[in-house]
Amino acid sequence: MSPRPWPPSERCWDSSSRTEVGAGALGGARSPGCPRGEPLSTRVCLPSGETIQGLRNSLRDAIDTLSRVDSSVAVSSGGELFLRFISLTSLEYSDYSKCKEIMIERGEIFLTKVSLSRNKIAKLCHPFIRDGARILTHAYSRVVLRVLEAAVEAKKRFSVYVTESQPDEAGQKMAKALRKLNIPVTVILDAAVGYIMEKVDLVLVGAEGVVESGGIINKIGTNQIAVCAKAQNKPFYVVAESFKFVRLFPLNQQDVPDRFKYKADTLKTSQDLKEEHPWIDYTSPSLITLLFTDLGVLTPSAVSDELIKLYL
Amino acid sequence: MPGAAERGSELSEQIEAFAARLRRGGERPRSEDTARQTLSLLRKIVGHGRWSRAGELMDLIRTEGQRMTAAQPSETTVGNMVRRVLKVIREEYGRLHGRSEESDQQESLHKLLTSGGLSEDFRTPYPSLRANVIEAINEMLIELEGTTDNIAMQALEHIHSNEVIMTIGYSRTVEAFLKEAARKRKFQVIVAECAPFCQGHEMAVRLSKEGIETTVMSDAAIFAVMSRVNKVIIGTKTILANGALIAVSGTHTLALAAKHHSTPLIVCAPMFKLSPQFPNEEDSFHKFVSPQEVLPFTEGEILAKINVHCPVFDYVPPELITLFISNIGGNAPSYIYRLMSELYHPDDYEL
Repeated sequence: MSPRPWPPSERCWDSSSRTEVGAGALGGARSPGCPRGEPLSTRVCLPSGETIQGLRNSLRDAIDTLSRVDSSVAVSSGGELFLRFISLTSLEYSDYSKCKEIMIERGEIFLTKVSLSRNKIAKLCHPFIRDGARILTHAYSRVVLRVLEAAVEAKKRFSVYVTESQPDEAGQKMAKALRKLNIPVTVILDAAVGYIMEKVDLVLVGAEGVVESGGIINKIGTNQIAVCAKAQNKPFYVVAESFKFVRLFPLNQQDVPDRFKYKADTLKTSQDLKEEHPWIDYTSPSLITLLFTDLGVLTPSAVSDELIKLYL
Repeated sequence: MPGAAERGSELSEQIEAFAARLRRGGERPRSEDTARQTLSLLRKIVGHGRWSRAGELMDLIRTEGQRMTAAQPSETTVGNMVRRVLKVIREEYGRLHGRSEESDQQESLHKLLTSGGLSEDFRTPYPSLRANVIEAINEMLIELEGTTDNIAMQALEHIHSNEVIMTIGYSRTVEAFLKEAARKRKFQVIVAECAPFCQGHEMAVRLSKEGIETTVMSDAAIFAVMSRVNKVIIGTKTILANGALIAVSGTHTLALAAKHHSTPLIVCAPMFKLSPQFPNEEDSFHKFVSPQEVLPFTEGEILAKINVHCPVFDYVPPELITLFISNIGGNAPSYIYRLMSELYHPDDYEL
């Protein structure tokens, strides 16, 4: 079964919805809140090959196709994780059919755990929002939305500033969702972050990817906000699920691979990438106060530890 | 069994008395004593309490632990010891249950991918669990005895001759540390008096008895003198999970002055002071005492017009700290998360 190419008209920015949209392309059905793990786990069921190697190759193809359609960091990290999970399982069981059974079972458990991760994160993060806090957030992040929802459920009163987040105005989408929760929200220009920083108490952003150094890759503009927050001594909190941990170690903005910076069809069609504007930037770990993940509250130095435990 | 019921009520009386003592506050209790008392109480619960399965024991300890920590939230040592015992129970149960030493009980990416499903339920009864846990608690008590000595033993590596060391208030750990170094080296100490309790005076008296050249100065002069100081060595009440400190009021000022002059700030604290909590809205570590010390009640007229506060503790963020010296060696603040994962289980962070 060869995957259908994704029609560009239905693209949207936010990474987790992009991944479910990618899932739709392969699975043929749209299911909200489902990470890209699902098409990959259905891939495990499909091939009738008899070897682990064959399975790996077919999964690699699936991941490549997904990335060609949707070039976000989450797809890459999720794919890597899934492949890793295959190799770990194959080490334990030498019989192929038994191995496949276990893999499918674990795949289901993995998917369930991942769908619960947002709630776990919200539970960990909302105590850090004081009553009367003013929060600054950037662009549209579903995890941040969930955290703020949990804070509202805990009867906290706070107000939110959202950056407009050009060029796709994701901030407006976030503001709309927040208004539905009855949270007082103000949309500010991206350029107004330095101006507004003295008024806010904390900054809360999501992440597309969390890199090995403990830094994050997120919508363009995040680095700026982090630098302003550091300059004014405001805590900068990041909320991200653990499947977003990716094996990259960028030392500066140039080190982030082009396939993450630009959209998939830009990469295919553009003549000179220097003319294009990147969609993401890298925020270094020294600017981040704490990361809230479903593995617990981590300091940036703890992130590489987690990655090592998995990949070594 | 009448004997068991009697012991049971005696035990809960003791716990009540302990909690009442904590709540009253009174004279500044030594953290090590609090830790020791907590561990003895927990050992009694394990020994005499009515339980047959590990799960029941953990619930029992958790309930008693919540009672004790609620009495005085700023005494984090109590909560730390409870969590240590819970971890010990999990470990002993795991060992008896036959789980391999390798398998990590903590959440990790690895576990996310390979675990077969839900976690343990601690249901199987093991008769030898009681004895094993009591033995482990005894080991912890022995470890507790040696913490100050272990820290003091590292003094010679950090203090060199003709250095000027600054400290604040009175910390028994720092006192032992400096005394140990003074046996072989000659150095000067400047003690910030740490108003309003002025415990720095007591520290200075004790140090000078050992022949260390000591100077006492007011807190306001900290910045002025800092340029001549080589190292700042302090103690603390609690170490938080992000590597921050809850220490006596005035420590943040000292830390900022040290940062400004790029003077290393060394914190001497034993591992039982490490708490898995993060600084957040709860602010439950804070303790305010009678403002009598700040503005005596004799100043009648002005008292009606103003608010007077006397906070006991200060928060020091991790960026200002250079090194933690504990009974297991020296560590950077960014490494605290690792030490925490070795001491406590994530499910116990919230008691």
